[in-house]
Amino acid sequence: MKATIERATLLKSLGHIHRVVERRNTIPILSNVLLRAEGEKLTLKATDLDVEITEGIPAEVATPGATTVSAQILYDITRKLPEGAEVALEVDGEGRTLTVRAGRSRFSLQALPASDFPDLATGDFPIRFQLDASALKQLIDRTQFAISTEETRYYLNGIYLHVVSANTGPMLRAVATDGHRLAQAQLGAPEGAAEMPGIIVPRKTVGELQKLAEIADGDVTVEISDTKIRTTIGPIVLTSKLIDGTFPPYERVIPQANDKVLKVDRGEFSDAVDRVSTIASERGRAVKLALSDGRMVLTVNNPDSGSATEEIGVQFDAAPLEIGFNSRYLLDIGGQLKTGTAVFRLADPGSPTLIQDEGENDALYVLMPMRV
Amino acid sequence: MGATATILHADLDAFYASVEQLLDPSLRGRPIAVGGGVVLAASYEAKKFGVHGGMSGRKARELCPELRFVGGHFDEYQRLGEAAIKVIGDFTPLVERISIDEAFADVAGTEHLFGPPEAVARAIRSRVREELGLPISVGVARTKHLAKIASQVAKPDGLLVVDPVRELEFLHQLPVELMWGVGPVTKAELAAAGVTTIGQLAAMPGRSLEGIVGQAIGEKLGALAWNRDPRAIHTEHRARSVGAQSALGRKAAREEVYRPTLHYLADRVATRLRAKERSGRTVTARVRFADLRSVTRSTTLPAGISATTILAEIAEELVRAALRDHPGERIVSLLAISVSHLEPDAMLQLELPLGLADEKRRPGARLAAARRKADGAVDAIRRRFGREAVAYGTVAGLAHGVPEGFRELAEKEI
Repeated sequence: MKATIERATLLKSLGHIHRVVERRNTIPILSNVLLRAEGEKLTLKATDLDVEITEGIPAEVATPGATTVSAQILYDITRKLPEGAEVALEVDGEGRTLTVRAGRSRFSLQALPASDFPDLATGDFPIRFQLDASALKQLIDRTQFAISTEETRYYLNGIYLHVVSANTGPMLRAVATDGHRLAQAQLGAPEGAAEMPGIIVPRKTVGELQKLAEIADGDVTVEISDTKIRTTIGPIVLTSKLIDGTFPPYERVIPQANDKVLKVDRGEFSDAVDRVSTIASERGRAVKLALSDGRMVLTVNNPDSGSATEEIGVQFDAAPLEIGFNSRYLLDIGGQLKTGTAVFRLADPGSPTLIQDEGENDALYVLMPMRV
Repeated sequence: MGATATILHADLDAFYASVEQLLDPSLRGRPIAVGGGVVLAASYEAKKFGVHGGMSGRKARELCPELRFVGGHFDEYQRLGEAAIKVIGDFTPLVERISIDEAFADVAGTEHLFGPPEAVARAIRSRVREELGLPISVGVARTKHLAKIASQVAKPDGLLVVDPVRELEFLHQLPVELMWGVGPVTKAELAAAGVTTIGQLAAMPGRSLEGIVGQAIGEKLGALAWNRDPRAIHTEHRARSVGAQSALGRKAAREEVYRPTLHYLADRVATRLRAKERSGRTVTARVRFADLRSVTRSTTLPAGISATTILAEIAEELVRAALRDHPGERIVSLLAISVSHLEPDAMLQLELPLGLADEKRRPGARLAAARRKADGAVDAIRRRFGREAVAYGTVAGLAHGVPEGFRELAEKEI
């Protein structure tokens, strides 16, 4: 194999690729990036056996071929090369080393054979649909923070992506929960998505998709099989295993009949929560909300450091109510609300509370209180 | 830990039996045992016959036919134990009580007030004898470990000061079972390797020792055998775990046998946690088999617990796992559970009612709320009508060798 690539192009691609590589690997080849030169293109590929990413970049290919070298080292070398450099990659006759040349620099990297590199992307993907990159990013942004990190609840360690029917037609819905809060976002189901099974996309894949969707414009192609999801964003293909488990029947925790309605300015509320929680301890970040006619008093008590109180004006005309929430959870949700006014629908201090943007039906948040 | 011997270990001799002899002069000079079905404590006169704590009453009578069994005066134990500690506190503020009848103290810097450590030890012994009428043995050394060994060697009713210059000479001639952490099992394992004295243990290469007792204990024993013990006196002693155990004699390793015992132990531990408004995230269960070997299993939870039934269920699962891993063991001789990673009860994050299988372990789930109410009711009834007034059905009717009063004495402040 022999190919020449622009340093900037190679660096950008390695920036995407090397994130998938796990820092510590028991299988040596998983630390490597696969480089395949053919036609007028160099294809890079990395995997951790759960997620695989490939990207094709323009290259001048003198001799087609393939090899694998340490992704981190190649990334670091490329990063340190001067701007505007041309990078020449050449495998020696026996395939044991890859020589990297740029200007007066020359590196000789140990290589492992490309034929040993695992392949995740093969197989049938019967479901296929396209959606706008920004729409995909919004689905992820609004739900990702609620993904559980508890390994024993592996079936909650991702976003549940599925299609539901609504009055306006089928909707593509994303749901995540960690057992304390639940986030749901949806959009009109793209053509071809209606038949998809409900899938759980793992957290790491969600994070990568979010970063890739951010830099992309235009459409993203999503393909789904029983065990995998493959996403094509421009020259990048991200393939991931799905979480093999059953997402719990989450609809039952979304309150339907909470009749105590609170409307509050989103920014004012988030700022107040942020201020009073300054004195909260690392554990037990409870903030108490005392609601009465037209006002909300936020209180934090920390036996070790003191107390904080703030009062804000709100729209609330139900019977007075005191309810406690984890301040971090309130701030997470506040960060995802888009409009100026947040609407809380409450029942009592021991039951789930529904939080939404005013006039918005495509996203909702359910938050379980703390026992005051 | 300094270059001079300033650490005292004071230990009331045959404490429960001594108190009984103090209260009833007709018992003095005679072999007595506190307890009934099981010997909880034996007087020195009875110990001469080989009677010791934990022994069955029948065995003790065989060894010593004139043995008198007496009931326990728990309130007196508590009062006299406190009084003895208070005497030590008159000499130094650095007192670390480690159980009802023993304490460490550091008398560094008190010499100009009370004289050298040996004089303090003598004063403590004579005051406890004169004011309380009880024998107390005191060991004085440079480290806690050696001070404790010295008080054991000094017994009964003795004083031993270990001169730092000759401390290794003293330590190395003693039998290994006097060391902290050497129980019957380790003693037997060491004896099989030809090690019976602390000196022999000290001379062993670290690797050989670790090969016998495991790495963690090997390192500790190796250091202690050279009197390397950096532990300081902790005056604010707050336990980092809460536990309870029950010796079963020899019982079949079957669920209907261990389940009620585990519920009983869980009740004790969880009640104490709730009384102090604390909860713990790690649950450990220990199972001892017929040959005194024991295995432990533990699990760490996402949130602290203090509910009796949740703790009992987790302990059951741990014991089941331990027994599953040792299918050859059919006899259980002791069960213990403890809760660690203690934290004050903070405001509790409630759980969304998703109906997940593991919700029953979570204190914020609905089921736990119901259990918390039940526990609260049990606690309230007991505060008013006494501990025996109410119990869970799984535990009711369970007979125990050890009276409740004794268990309470053995429980540390949490």
